[in-house]
Amino acid sequence: MLKSYWCKIALTASLAAAAWGATFGKVVSIGGHASDLALDEPRGVLYIANFTANRVEVMSLATNAVQTSINVAAQPSSLALSPDGHFLVVAHYGNAAPPASSSNAITVIDLTSNGKQTFALASPPLGVAFGINNQALVVTSTDFLLLNPASGTTKELDTIAGLVAKTLPQPPASFPTNIVAASVAASGDGMFIYGFGDTLLFKYDVSNNILTPGFYTSTPTLGPRAVSVSQDGSYFTFGWTLKDPSFFNISQFANISGALNVGTSAIDSARNTIYAQMPPPGTTLPAPVMQIVDADNLAPRSQIRLPENFAGKSVLSSDGSTLYGVSDSGVMVLGVGSLSRAHQVAATVQDIVFRGNFCDRRIATQSLTITDPGGGNTAFNISSNTSGLSVSPSSGVTPATVSVRVDPNVFANQKGTVAATLTITSSQSVNVPTPVRVLINSRQPEQRGVFVDVPGKLVDLLADPFRNRFYVLRQDTNQVLVFDGGNNTQIATLRTGNTPMGMAITFDQRYLLVGCDNSHYLNVYDLETLQPTQPVRMFGGDYVQSVAASSNAILAVTRSASGGDPNIHSIDLGLRMSTRLPNLGVYQNKVALNTVLTASTNGASIMAASADGSLLLYDANVGSFTVSRKDFTALGGAYAASNFNLYVAGTNLLDSSLVPITQFEAGTGSASGFAFVDQFAFRTTAPSAGTGQSTAPGVIQRVDLSNVTNTVSLATQMTEAPLLGGTGSAFTRTLAPLYNRNAIINLTVSGFTVLPWTYDASVAAPRINKIVNAADLSGGIAPGGLITVFGAQLSPVNLATSEIPLPTALADSCLTVNGLPVPILFVSPNQLNAQMPFETVGNVSMILRTPGGSSDTFNLQVIPTAPSVFHSGVAGPNTDIPTVIRNTNGELVTDSDPIHKDDILVIFLTGMGATAPAVPTGMPAPLNPLAVALTKPTVTIGDTQLGLLYWGLAPGEVGVYQINVQVPSNIKSGLDLPLTISQGGFSSSLSVRVVE
Amino acid sequence: MKHFLPVTFFVVLAAAPAALAQKWEVGVAGGGNFYTSKSFTNPLGNADAKLANGFIVSGWLGNNSGRLLGGELRYDYEQSSLQLSSGGTNVSFGAHTQAVHYDFLLNFAGREARISPFVAGGAGVKVYSGTGREQAFQPLSNIALLTKTNQLKPMISLGGGVKFRISSAIQFRAEVHDYLTPFPNSVIAPAQGSKVGGWLSDFVAQAGLAWTF
Repeated sequence: MLKSYWCKIALTASLAAAAWGATFGKVVSIGGHASDLALDEPRGVLYIANFTANRVEVMSLATNAVQTSINVAAQPSSLALSPDGHFLVVAHYGNAAPPASSSNAITVIDLTSNGKQTFALASPPLGVAFGINNQALVVTSTDFLLLNPASGTTKELDTIAGLVAKTLPQPPASFPTNIVAASVAASGDGMFIYGFGDTLLFKYDVSNNILTPGFYTSTPTLGPRAVSVSQDGSYFTFGWTLKDPSFFNISQFANISGALNVGTSAIDSARNTIYAQMPPPGTTLPAPVMQIVDADNLAPRSQIRLPENFAGKSVLSSDGSTLYGVSDSGVMVLGVGSLSRAHQVAATVQDIVFRGNFCDRRIATQSLTITDPGGGNTAFNISSNTSGLSVSPSSGVTPATVSVRVDPNVFANQKGTVAATLTITSSQSVNVPTPVRVLINSRQPEQRGVFVDVPGKLVDLLADPFRNRFYVLRQDTNQVLVFDGGNNTQIATLRTGNTPMGMAITFDQRYLLVGCDNSHYLNVYDLETLQPTQPVRMFGGDYVQSVAASSNAILAVTRSASGGDPNIHSIDLGLRMSTRLPNLGVYQNKVALNTVLTASTNGASIMAASADGSLLLYDANVGSFTVSRKDFTALGGAYAASNFNLYVAGTNLLDSSLVPITQFEAGTGSASGFAFVDQFAFRTTAPSAGTGQSTAPGVIQRVDLSNVTNTVSLATQMTEAPLLGGTGSAFTRTLAPLYNRNAIINLTVSGFTVLPWTYDASVAAPRINKIVNAADLSGGIAPGGLITVFGAQLSPVNLATSEIPLPTALADSCLTVNGLPVPILFVSPNQLNAQMPFETVGNVSMILRTPGGSSDTFNLQVIPTAPSVFHSGVAGPNTDIPTVIRNTNGELVTDSDPIHKDDILVIFLTGMGATAPAVPTGMPAPLNPLAVALTKPTVTIGDTQLGLLYWGLAPGEVGVYQINVQVPSNIKSGLDLPLTISQGGFSSSLSVRVVE
Repeated sequence: MKHFLPVTFFVVLAAAPAALAQKWEVGVAGGGNFYTSKSFTNPLGNADAKLANGFIVSGWLGNNSGRLLGGELRYDYEQSSLQLSSGGTNVSFGAHTQAVHYDFLLNFAGREARISPFVAGGAGVKVYSGTGREQAFQPLSNIALLTKTNQLKPMISLGGGVKFRISSAIQFRAEVHDYLTPFPNSVIAPAQGSKVGGWLSDFVAQAGLAWTF
């Protein structure tokens, strides 16, 4: 939808796949074209129908070698093994063109006696599969037959009309999947059989003996010609689609060629996994790659390189450990259960963020860990595509830590964020490693906003009109990311269908709607519970591109599943159904594919804007479309509807008849986001950067709607650029003011950027009132310890970071001590938490810089050790509890969980000073070796000294230390005893209860 | 338990009747009990504390030193829970008690009588044991703390009952007792600012069988 960095990543990954890497799986060549296979695990064999050699090959599962062959009648096209293992039924596609006589037939092989019987069929068989009742469903070009293999009798279930079967001979380089033109398979429990051909599809309910046939059309063709059915038959794959029993697409693979003879799919219900090869469009096939995806929405997990292409049906062993699939040479065997033991390479993070700031122009370094997810030692190479970004070493063996270095001076003039790429390759790994995105931001004090890294392709943004939340649509992983508007942290993830396109919130504010480009369903989520509810089945299986809700209608722009024009549906949320509107008022129901909908928040209207320059207006009072205009040759960028009969499409402000009133300036760049708020608005733009996102900062403007001609003078530069649209995704909704008017959220290059509502207000200089340790808020501060700065105007927003290493500038605030940048954990207007650098001791001076200016110098004393226990524990309604943990039950020590003799206690604190080995400031403490404090503490309860077990930094934490002690058996009991920690002449105490 | 009940205590109490070399009796009994509650007072609020109704099993070794006078050394085990309640809030915490005491018995009929009422009185010790799962937050912990610990308290035993002779060697006994101890303020400990005191009554009703020899 948007110009995509992720498209580049996918392309890079694909090219890498072609150029590098080992492959996973073994090819078993059969000297012919395989058309079907059947797994006989009790006998330890796989039966392979060799279509062109007139054999059923019997492959040993132990050796993966063809051990025997069963000669059968001509063109064995389909196989099925009875559930009791007694019979193997072979269908023969012998549909010869006159004057030759046809030899269509069924062979029943009794596997216990090795007896064979062949029965002639009037029509060519398209497929065969057994139900749990040990009777085989045989599908021919004219009827459905039920075969009793024991008696050899057949019963016609239904007839098929209008199906044309291919005749033999066929042109060279035709494959069984093209000739037989059908695939049939049963569910794991044998209760359902599904199949499809070029136009036919059907479901057979075995226990109720109900056959449900139907016909379909598909563009592109529904390849690969492979069916896989879940264990209970509740979902299945036909070619590139994942369907439910009503044949609607739960989801479908994107970017597919539809080739019938390349690829496969296999469902592993127990692991909610689908293994699939879906070749992309194009005349030249890329190196074969198998995708491993989630079975509910086809969200990608990983990609595995294959030795050759699959070419039809696949089956999994009953324990899911081995995949057998028809392939170019015959059969491919993949030990998917042992995939973790194959060489693979992956980075432990998707993104690395370098936040340049005006306090710190030193070369910045971060560590990136490259691992083999299976724990193996795999060689790899890693390289950067950007000058000023380097890695060292550039090759290694997993597990390895790579140093990623950024020279801020190279990016100093950029002012926005550069999204660079680290490409990982490996000649040993079987997977296609995902590149790492490196976000390098350089900013100046006048730039506003704090960006939050959100990996992935983000395509839509909505603020909840009722709750302090906002929703970000991540398209590459099929997710809605739900963020808390108070602290901008993610609080939930909602799973969507494949390729989510746009969101809307119902007028009653209860439901979030998500339309997907690769699903026949509109997802519906309850916003109170943040749980999915029953989705809306779209009429005709049309695909939702955009959705909007007025007070009396929910409308959706759809891509037609039947190949017709894109059109608008009306959604009935009560029935969870949609209807294709017969007309749009006096206009035909026909829109451009690249059309978006947006509703005014008062529910009075919905505007539709199309990339071809067309505009439509739905009037809720009339209950129909009242305006249709085409005053532009093209439209794109921002779109919005106000409660005061004003609309925006691109740079155009439109009146209640969608007549252009005026144009916004375009000098600051292309329109990205627009949001009406009462009778003013916010607007964002970014300089166009060709095919990518802008590395310049972009601007936000507060627009006075009564005078829109002078918005340039109101422009404020942002920390980084808002996202711009691209080909096929002309429109962008990237700006969302939160309903409580505390902040404005913008989709930007790195994820989203938070601006305070008054981002453009003059900012007062920060003032530091007090600096204390962050543990017990007392004055003892030591090198490496966590500190809290209290004051005023310390930051315009509340923001906590989880980035490692800790950034030295956060939310426009940077703190220095004696000129040295201080890593920051949290900022807010009145409080800032940070780590005192290990290098700092003695009398020091601190200065805080924000866009409002610099604070006065604050002088304080840093002593070598100042152990102070955190008071951040919470138990029930009680807060501020000292973080002393009883190892026995893992709970905080309180009066109701008192200390006992022989207890082991873990005390979390800060201020224990330097360690061995030394840990860099801002970095988490290592686990091996542990970073032990150089000065040994003593811990007493009353006058009894406790046994020290460990004293040093807590592994994985920044600036947090821990002391482990054992309580002696002669401890005295009491309700209020002092627990005292002394180190290097500094002591701190807290009260504890001790019982016998 | 062994930490709180010195062996010498058993020896002293058991040796006196044994020296008289009179009619001996061993028995076991079971039944139920209920405790009276005590109030914690605190500026933040008051709460009632007690042990919950539970079951009791006991065993004894007795000696009838005269025609109507006897004595017995007795062990009681009660399974219960500590309970604290204030307003609508109730807190429970697993617990049990064990007691050893010597009671003098005054029978109202001779040893050979088919039915013999008796009264009993004596003293001993009782160990209260909190056994529940300790958690960082316990409701009403601002008033009192139900604690996983043991506490030994002196005990006074008062009671009475009826003996039914079933055969020359076997008696059926039904009896009631009130076991009084000072309040166990380490197991149910007052929080800062709370006060509690007095004695805790444990009313016990039991029935059992005794073998005489």
